[in-house]
Amino acid sequence: MIAILLDGLAFGLQLSMLAVGLTLIYGLGGVLNLAHGQFAVAGGIVGALLIGRGAGVAVGIVAALGVAALLAAIVDVSLMRPVYRLTGERRVLLSLLVTLGIAFVIEGYLFANHAAVSFNLSVPGPVVRILGVGMRRNALVAAAIAIVTLGVLIVFLRTTRLGRAIRSIIQDEDGARLVGIDPGRVRSLVFVLSGLLAGLFAVAEAFNSSVGPDRARLFTILALIVTVVGGLGSVSGALVAGLLLGVTYVTAQFLVGSFLTYVILLLAAVVIILVRPSGLLGRAH
Amino acid sequence: MARTAPGEGPARTLALHPARAGVARAYAPVLVIAILLAGVPLAVGDNRFYMTLAINGLTFAAYAVAFNLLFGATNQLFLCLGALAGVSAYGSSILGNEFGWPLALTIPIGVLAAAGLGGLFSWVAVRRRLDVIFIGIVTLAFTLMFTNMLQGFSALTGGETGLRIDAGEGTFLRSSVAFYALMVVVVCGFLTVYRLLERSHHGWAFRALTDDQLAAELAGVDVARYRITAGVIAGAMLGLTGALYAAHEGFVSPRTFDFGDVDVRTLVMLAFGGIGTMTGPVVGAAAVTVIDLFLRPLGQLRLLVYGVLLIGLFLGFRRGLVPAVTGAVSRLVAGRARAG
Repeated sequence: MIAILLDGLAFGLQLSMLAVGLTLIYGLGGVLNLAHGQFAVAGGIVGALLIGRGAGVAVGIVAALGVAALLAAIVDVSLMRPVYRLTGERRVLLSLLVTLGIAFVIEGYLFANHAAVSFNLSVPGPVVRILGVGMRRNALVAAAIAIVTLGVLIVFLRTTRLGRAIRSIIQDEDGARLVGIDPGRVRSLVFVLSGLLAGLFAVAEAFNSSVGPDRARLFTILALIVTVVGGLGSVSGALVAGLLLGVTYVTAQFLVGSFLTYVILLLAAVVIILVRPSGLLGRAH
Repeated sequence: MARTAPGEGPARTLALHPARAGVARAYAPVLVIAILLAGVPLAVGDNRFYMTLAINGLTFAAYAVAFNLLFGATNQLFLCLGALAGVSAYGSSILGNEFGWPLALTIPIGVLAAAGLGGLFSWVAVRRRLDVIFIGIVTLAFTLMFTNMLQGFSALTGGETGLRIDAGEGTFLRSSVAFYALMVVVVCGFLTVYRLLERSHHGWAFRALTDDQLAAELAGVDVARYRITAGVIAGAMLGLTGALYAAHEGFVSPRTFDFGDVDVRTLVMLAFGGIGTMTGPVVGAAAVTVIDLFLRPLGQLRLLVYGVLLIGLFLGFRRGLVPAVTGAVSRLVAGRARAG
């Protein structure tokens, strides 16, 4: 039972890390990024290529983070500009379609040139026992990355000036403008931050299993579902939803096994969306 | 996204006062499309390669008309087009294979199932007051569930390898030109239904609710009823198309109804042709089918080209091909009239 809980929490933390980036840019920019998983995978592939050419693991990891963040930055200052000119639902919809196109461009390029490349990292060593349960070292590293990332993010949002500015814009953009915050600049920073989070997810996932072009779509879809279940724009919602769906997934895997696991995860997501259309911790609109 | 095309403006005002000339004008495009489509087999002959391509294109045109009714006319982003077509295709195929029932019975059952699901999604969305994004997520979740079920119940569905279909063997459904003709009738039938809805009292309700849902509700438009009607009809269209295509191929697999291959492709086609226009889906399907043919040597890079196309279409010509062309033509005509 404890084993299921630990596995579920570890998987859930990963999901949260993936979703937080998406929910932040929704909260700030009112846009959804369907290329989020593709940013993560692109970063991972660059890391894998560098390591494959003899670069150190640390270089590979830094490159993965850098590429994911850079892609996000480029998209924010170029293709998202016309999107930001729209408002409300139209903006969300256009952002969905444009980022879907971006996802295709990245995926098409990766499949054509690096279809067989995958980003794998591992720390050798025996199984570690926690609360009497054996855990793989790699899974623990992945969970540790997620915990540190999410912890730092929360501290950043709560204590720093920029973090408070971000939260104030999420709550009330006009109010933030009135006290002298430039939403456009903060939005760009958050877009980069979200790319960085995607990169960190790729690194964690590289420890846990592997990151290849064929997994990009799954990452994006998982991020989207966790974000919506948690409540669009709610960071704590993404955290709770990630953990909840992670534990649900692992429990279902234990109880019924195989394909039904996914069906149960999705059903859980749909039920939550239908019961609370604004998400677990989202604000009603 | 602008859904009301300026080029269609005058035609739409006319449509509100149905007169005999208005009727002819409203349905003339369907006739033109039927004639053009009928010309394809005459042009390429009974060429297996081109007829397969043409049938594929028509199948997607049918999906796109249904999607247009959902997304274009009633602002419901259904991301389960392939899954709804698949429910009907797999359902009718399994009933036929297991019980030996004829297609005349199994296809209507499949269509009913897809129509019921389409209506259910619309009903749920209306009841829970889901935004367009949330309808997208819920229906996307359904698509993923459907794909997983196909893998899970592999004893019934054949899993990844797919399912061979017995029914339809040796009938015209398996031929290329005769089946093509049937699909022309189906697509033109769908277009007629679309136009009928557009011209009925549903039409102004559809337009009102895509422009401003709240205003539409305040003006007494029963938004729920129109959305659900669109969901049921589009579901039935998707179901019929999926089941017919399966009967023609004699084989279905998860690939046939894959999200990336069906839903995303249909979205690109509709965006290309013009969302919310009657002929847009068919023009888009034809254009993308032809582009596909030229892009074939690119292999995996095709995806990249589609990505660029999608971005360009939505940021550049947000209204699609049909409104852009009709707009240009009417500007040209207006310019001549001024000059003369």
